[in-house]
Amino acid sequence: MNPGFLGAVRGPVMLITLGVLLSIDHFGPVSFGRTWPVLLIVFGIFKLMERSSARTS
Amino acid sequence: MKRTSIVAPLLLIGVGVLFLARNLYPDLALVDYFARYWPVLLILWGALRLAEIMFWSATDKELPARGMSGGEWILVVFLCMVGLSVHTVRGFESWWPKSGITMGGIDLLGESFDYPIAAEKPCAKAPRVIIESFRGNARITGAEVATVKVSGHKTIRSMEQSGADQANQSSPFEISGDGNSLTIRTNQDHVSGSMRISSEMEITVPKGATIEAHGRTGDFDITDVSGNVEIVSDNAGVRLQNIGGEVKIDLRRSDIVRAINVKGPFDLKGHGDDVELQDMEGQVTINGAYSGVIQLRNLAKPLRFNGQQTDLNIEKLPGQVRMALGDFTADNLVGPVRLNTKSRDVRISNFTNSLDLTVERGDIELRPGKLPVGKIDVHSRFGDVEVALPAAARFDLNATTARGDTYSDFGAPVHTERNGNGGSVRGSNGGPSITLATERGKMTVRKASPDEKGFEPAVEAPEKPERPEAPERPEAPKAPKPLQKVEQ
Repeated sequence: MNPGFLGAVRGPVMLITLGVLLSIDHFGPVSFGRTWPVLLIVFGIFKLMERSSARTS
Repeated sequence: MKRTSIVAPLLLIGVGVLFLARNLYPDLALVDYFARYWPVLLILWGALRLAEIMFWSATDKELPARGMSGGEWILVVFLCMVGLSVHTVRGFESWWPKSGITMGGIDLLGESFDYPIAAEKPCAKAPRVIIESFRGNARITGAEVATVKVSGHKTIRSMEQSGADQANQSSPFEISGDGNSLTIRTNQDHVSGSMRISSEMEITVPKGATIEAHGRTGDFDITDVSGNVEIVSDNAGVRLQNIGGEVKIDLRRSDIVRAINVKGPFDLKGHGDDVELQDMEGQVTINGAYSGVIQLRNLAKPLRFNGQQTDLNIEKLPGQVRMALGDFTADNLVGPVRLNTKSRDVRISNFTNSLDLTVERGDIELRPGKLPVGKIDVHSRFGDVEVALPAAARFDLNATTARGDTYSDFGAPVHTERNGNGGSVRGSNGGPSITLATERGKMTVRKASPDEKGFEPAVEAPEKPERPEAPERPEAPKAPKPLQKVEQ
């Protein structure tokens, strides 16, 4: 995957994640106070993927 | 040319549709919907952006360096702040901190552990029973007893048994006070951190008791109590039946408020969805925003309803009233009746004394039915007006439309007149004045046929109150055994 694509997709994916977590907070059993680290994880995964794709290219 | 996102135009369209909906149906509880579903907006937004980038990438177009611009993120943050505050203000589960912040996100779901609650205390014939703020449901029943007795269970959400046990011990259930004034305490607030406690209580009190209940989230079900009842809660469904005293209810949010057979004055305020009142012997006062269906029937004393968009005063209601989104139907009212509303189709039949009706937008249909016809005063800005007068009625009619057709089949003394775009229907045989005016719409004056029926508001007879054998409690968390068996 090329780095440009990853960079472009990162924002929307983060936004979707945020929306899902807040929905779970409102409707589900788990509060955002507990699930917020998921955002860090997703962001980290993106950084990792960008790094590896930058190295291969 | 710089490619721009389709999100911005869609956003504009969405905002436009929302405002239009608000204008057409002012009663639509848009803020409530927003408060509940706003995170979905974030998901939609992200999904749109993502789809767009996928599409660009698939068609080998140049991709933007970043999927979301800084400006968009600022907008997202803004949306979050507004959403969260509205969510909290509207009395949904208070958002922050629901359970404390758990670093690492390990303590994800946990399990539910149930513990029995039981307590009993002797008391006077007419005690004051105070229930301190708690989370969970309470069912209060008056009976010929001389004790206050509570049974039920407590549900604790925790990762492991030991934590739940500890929480159970630090939140002992108690009834304190002397025989005249008792306080029921769940002590849920003694437990902090990530554990959530809710209590299901079956409370039996002497018939003469006065109830004062505070709740955070959960339903109240009160039956056969002859004292006063006062309920204050952040979020509650309330069902009352056979209450002898005064009722005061103050809710920040509720899905239903139902009262059947209340002897004293009834006072309701706050936000909520449905309201159902039946067989009320005291004055009924309702203040607040209720966006669901409002059904009233058989009110012996005056009704004062002050809604967000609708004000309604009735002296007495032997019949029924039903208000739903964009609709008002009533049958058999004792006036003077005064209704002031923004956007509803109004249909009223069989009313006595005077009627004063102001409608911004909506069709109006009146069938006074009973003789003598009282004074009628109707103003509508936009909508048709139709009145069916009994053949023997005496009146002094003056009906005008600034723009629209006029029609009458009443015969003498009523006659129609054209006047520019509008016209009038007039006629008098020496009765009380009937003034009808619409700025835009058709004006019709009919002769009521003798066997004409009133409007039957589709009042669903409040389903049999879910008692006494109603095991289905909302979100009863897997009760280990039937409640009745948990004797103290």
